[in-house]
Amino acid sequence: MDPNTTQQNSDTRDVTQKIVNAYKEYVLLNGTEPPSIYAFCHELGISEDEFYTHFNTFDQVASAFWSQLFKEVLRELRSDQAYVEYNTREKLLGFYYAFFEALKPHRSFALLSFRDSVSLLKRESQHLTDLKKEFRLWVSELVNEGVRQGEIAQRSRITGAYDNIIWMQFLFLLNFWRKDGSRGFERTDAAIEKSVRFGFDLIEKNALDSAFDFGKFLFQGK
Amino acid sequence: MKEQDHIPTSRFSRTGNFLKTGAKVGGNYLKYYSKKLLGTDDTDALQRENAEDIYDALSKLKGSALKIAQMMSMDEGVLPKAFTDKFTQAQYSAPPLSYPLVVKTFKSQLGKSPSEVFDSFSKNAVAAASIGQVHLAERDGHKLAVKVQYPGVADSINSDLRIVKPLVSTMLNISSSEIDHYLQEVQARLMEETDYELELKRSMVIAKACAPIQGLEFPSYYPEFSSGRILTMDWLAGKHLSEFLKTDPSQETRNQLGQLLWDFYDFQIHELRQVHADPHPGNFLFREDGTIGVIDFGCIKEFSDQFYNDYFQLMIPEITNNDKNFEELLFKLDFLLPTDKPEEVAHFKRVYFEVHHLLSEPFFNDEFDFADPGYFARIYALSEVYQNDKMLRKAKAARGPRDSIYLNRTYFGLYSLLHKLEANIITRSKVGTLAEHS
Ligand SMILES: Nc1ncnc2c1ncn2[C@@H]1O[C@H](COP(=O)(O)OP(=O)(O)OP(=O)(O)O)[C@@H](O)[C@H]1O
Repeated sequence: MDPNTTQQNSDTRDVTQKIVNAYKEYVLLNGTEPPSIYAFCHELGISEDEFYTHFNTFDQVASAFWSQLFKEVLRELRSDQAYVEYNTREKLLGFYYAFFEALKPHRSFALLSFRDSVSLLKRESQHLTDLKKEFRLWVSELVNEGVRQGEIAQRSRITGAYDNIIWMQFLFLLNFWRKDGSRGFERTDAAIEKSVRFGFDLIEKNALDSAFDFGKFLFQGK
Repeated sequence: MKEQDHIPTSRFSRTGNFLKTGAKVGGNYLKYYSKKLLGTDDTDALQRENAEDIYDALSKLKGSALKIAQMMSMDEGVLPKAFTDKFTQAQYSAPPLSYPLVVKTFKSQLGKSPSEVFDSFSKNAVAAASIGQVHLAERDGHKLAVKVQYPGVADSINSDLRIVKPLVSTMLNISSSEIDHYLQEVQARLMEETDYELELKRSMVIAKACAPIQGLEFPSYYPEFSSGRILTMDWLAGKHLSEFLKTDPSQETRNQLGQLLWDFYDFQIHELRQVHADPHPGNFLFREDGTIGVIDFGCIKEFSDQFYNDYFQLMIPEITNNDKNFEELLFKLDFLLPTDKPEEVAHFKRVYFEVHHLLSEPFFNDEFDFADPGYFARIYALSEVYQNDKMLRKAKAARGPRDSIYLNRTYFGLYSLLHKLEANIITRSKVGTLAEHS
């Protein structure tokens, strides 16, 4: 590879990272986005022109944050031998636990990032655009693996929709976590546990037991 | 998953039996309320509706709410059997924690995953606990039991109590201030039960205090592998009572085991004046050689000197056989209330006398055969009589000292264990020396 391109690539990464960090910090300190891209660039000491080579909007910057977090969590998991040996259901669980753990230090930003939508399920956030693509890709790989290993039932009509269903589940959990006031977010852990069991039971076998258990949990959670 | 399939059912049946026995011994109360709640009285449509509401609400309970309801039912014998059955079912159908969640709990509590802490660790739980599950682990060739708590239990206690409160006040037919008093105590004890660090400390203390009793084995605990939600201890050998009985132990062994249990409780109540271990069949592991492994010191009940001194006067025949002294004592203990009308006083006194004498029969003999079906039949028969008692039905307020609830619960459990063991034991106890001193 041309040494120049490599150099360029890592420069790009640096600037991208710089923009994401500065954006995050601004939002955290001011509770709102910078008034304009110009003002933002001015403060950061880069030209507006430069900003546009990486992003077009602030939404895209926020989206980059979420996608980075997702990729980091996945990278971490894949380097863990225990995770590699998990079955599909356990991999999904392992991902959720790791993701919400990694999200803890960013809770303030996460809450601000979604402040415009009361329910992420009803109103999907622009900030999740990149993460959504990557998440669904990962899930469909996971589902394929599960089907190959006989863990997931192949139902011609809906197998293709699993990635979408699991995406909805992810949004549900994100919502749940936003409102979770329990110590150490233990209620979110319980929600993960129950919703994944429910989801997989749908895919695997009779859904009634776990639906009942999950329903009770939601009913009683107030 | 095989082992998982049978554990909840056996837990269900043993808890069910336990409750049933407790309920039957506490009969008079229970039978009346169950009829009232279930609306067997056909004209009482309102009551039936009530019962249905309660039933609906109960079926939505889980976790600590179930535990509360169970405690209430054991303590007061107030819940109809249909309800208690429902509880136990719902409770033990709680699905096991996934392995990734166990890993996450380890990482957040101990900073390491189970495989980093132990040489081996069972991915699936080997037993269900009421608010958690038990895994089998190994370290340096040593077998360990690792109890992992469900997430969010402590946090749900308050909301659970709010759900339970109206139910309890309907069932016990007592005012909301009275119930607050009671629920506060229940809440405090539940919070304690969710704190495994406390359980660990207590277990170490009790193991030391009970060292003089030969034949009991308490596990050692490992603080370095424990935290608020993880408890690591030695794995104890032995079988649950129902499993143990299937091995057809000799009468001698059964007597020995029964004696050990009796002595254990006698020691706790009269020597320590605290009850540490709940006589719940799941808390004892029985062995062929006549020894018992004791687990679970989640909750503890201390008896105040005042309660102890007053209450155990009930064990002194000179007092209970003297009408005037007995009446005084009943007033002192709040079994009789100043607001009772004279005919109520007379009636209740007779009832308490009869019930008390029957239930304390084992204490008034040097030896007692808990296998005797006649004895338990008499208890059931007496509760049948009082279930139809008009005056008892009308009595509203909860009677007796609160501490006696725990004491009764303990004895119900103990009698039930001894009955199942069919043990013939020496029941002479400290109580005898009490009488001498008086
Ligand atoms: N040290 C041990 N050795 C062997 N088996 C154990 C040990 N500890 C627990 N178990 C098994 O796990 C079951 C449940 O444990 P335990 O009695 O501690 O839970 P619990 O009282 O239901 O729950 P909690 O403490 O959460 O209220 C026991 O009945 C027993 O079968």
